[in-house]
Amino acid sequence: MSAGTVIDRLTCVLCPVGCALAVLKDDAGELQVEGNQCDKGVPFALGEVLHPMRNLATSVPVAGTAARMVSVRLTAPVPRELIFPILAEIARLRPQAPVRRGQVLLANALGTGADVIATRTVV
Amino acid sequence: MSAAIPRQSCDVAVIGGGPAGLAAALGARRAGASKVLLVEREKALGGILNQCVHDGFGLFLYKETISGPEYAERLIEDVVKEPIRVETGAMVLDLSAERVLRINSRAGYRLVEAGAVVLAMGCRERTRDQIEIPGTRPAGVLTAGSAQNLVNLQNLRIGREAVILGSGDIGLIMARRLAFEGIAVKGVFEILPWVSGLERNVRQCLLDFGIPLELRSTVVEIRGRDRVESVVVAEVDEKLAPVAGTERIIPCDTLLLSVGLIPENELARRAGVELSPLTGGAVVDETLMTSTPGVFSCGNVLHIHDVADWASFEGFAAGERAARYAAGERGGGETVSVSAASNVRYALPQRVSRGLAGVEWSFRVRRPVRDAVVEVKGRTSGRVYARRKFPRLLPSELQKIKVGPAVEEDLEVVSP
Repeated sequence: MSAGTVIDRLTCVLCPVGCALAVLKDDAGELQVEGNQCDKGVPFALGEVLHPMRNLATSVPVAGTAARMVSVRLTAPVPRELIFPILAEIARLRPQAPVRRGQVLLANALGTGADVIATRTVV
Repeated sequence: MSAAIPRQSCDVAVIGGGPAGLAAALGARRAGASKVLLVEREKALGGILNQCVHDGFGLFLYKETISGPEYAERLIEDVVKEPIRVETGAMVLDLSAERVLRINSRAGYRLVEAGAVVLAMGCRERTRDQIEIPGTRPAGVLTAGSAQNLVNLQNLRIGREAVILGSGDIGLIMARRLAFEGIAVKGVFEILPWVSGLERNVRQCLLDFGIPLELRSTVVEIRGRDRVESVVVAEVDEKLAPVAGTERIIPCDTLLLSVGLIPENELARRAGVELSPLTGGAVVDETLMTSTPGVFSCGNVLHIHDVADWASFEGFAAGERAARYAAGERGGGETVSVSAASNVRYALPQRVSRGLAGVEWSFRVRRPVRDAVVEVKGRTSGRVYARRKFPRLLPSELQKIKVGPAVEEDLEVVSP
């Protein structure tokens, strides 16, 4: 066991084994991962600690149809700290029916490269 | 004199148009049924998928992760390409053991005689009454799925400060959704020592937003006159009884319940289908046929799934078997019974034709366990038919185990 302070504990979700990982910071400030049974656990745990990426899904009001809402999501995960800034952008969207599934409602959200797309068809 | 009630017939009637029922209708067509009827009580097909706007669906069926509405639309597109008679806004009022459906719809009331029936009605959420929370009866107590419908489909603001009881996936996903909407989630309380939902959801729905999760604790009282004003939470002991002196008042105006799902089997009961007290769904054989001949079951009305894809796979299988039954195919013969033992909560199918080889069981455990060896054994002989090592088994995850050799006796599925 290496010395250090545990700064995060997480279950690896890359395979069904589900290793119980711990991320430690040693005296020199270096991050270490423990509990991984394979090599993939290390980048997974460090990624979660240093730059976690998340997709996000919500729904927005749609005009010109009986359906009230059209559901939306991002085409790719974005840095976790951008969830609320991107939600604020999405909240401004007022698409007009018809909207097709996969239609881009907001391209390149906040410069992340991820688009906001409709996830259902509303006619 | 009243006019005679119209009578129609079909090969396969599927009740319910969610992930299981859509797949069942497709499965019936693929197996050659010519007249397939799909009945859905909502105005649109898709079932609960329509309100599940989060992603994580389709990984097994479509090999990519998509949202619930996208998953539904893709299945629906396949259904409408087929000559399947789809009836929405239609309610099956009754189902007899002779497979006569009584249907009420905009077209009127009629009887449909089906060669085979697939039950795919899904499930309901457990409510406050079923878990008997004491206190007043104010507005603001909602099941997590109702809240999901109100927020995602109807754009309603359900409250300002919420507490969530139960750590099922819908509750966790709604915690994040409420955080998105600027509603303060004061905490998620789970009576068991472990989370009911997926660990990924604990991290991405709670930890990401600083929402506290308290295990071994529950809501012991709801307070408020017209609207919820607070809830009282308390820790519980090993017997899940509240520990006196640990009560804490949490001000909030909304309580969401994510405390379990119950298969919706009223129609199955009317058709005389034998139900399992362990799953709340039908007792089925390897063809997913219930104890009522020609009546099949799949998806959440059979047992609760954690992944929609598996409900669909069950639907495809049930639809195919129903089509074959409608065409005159009969299994018949003797069956053996299969039970769950020790840490296995249930195993499905519960009946299997004697002499059949290559049967696969779905099962779920009661408690989390690591490095577990699961066995399928002869109940009296002790003969091991299958043995599989699992690095980890969780109550939240449905698992599978396959038996190679022919089954010759009553079996049990055992996990440490």
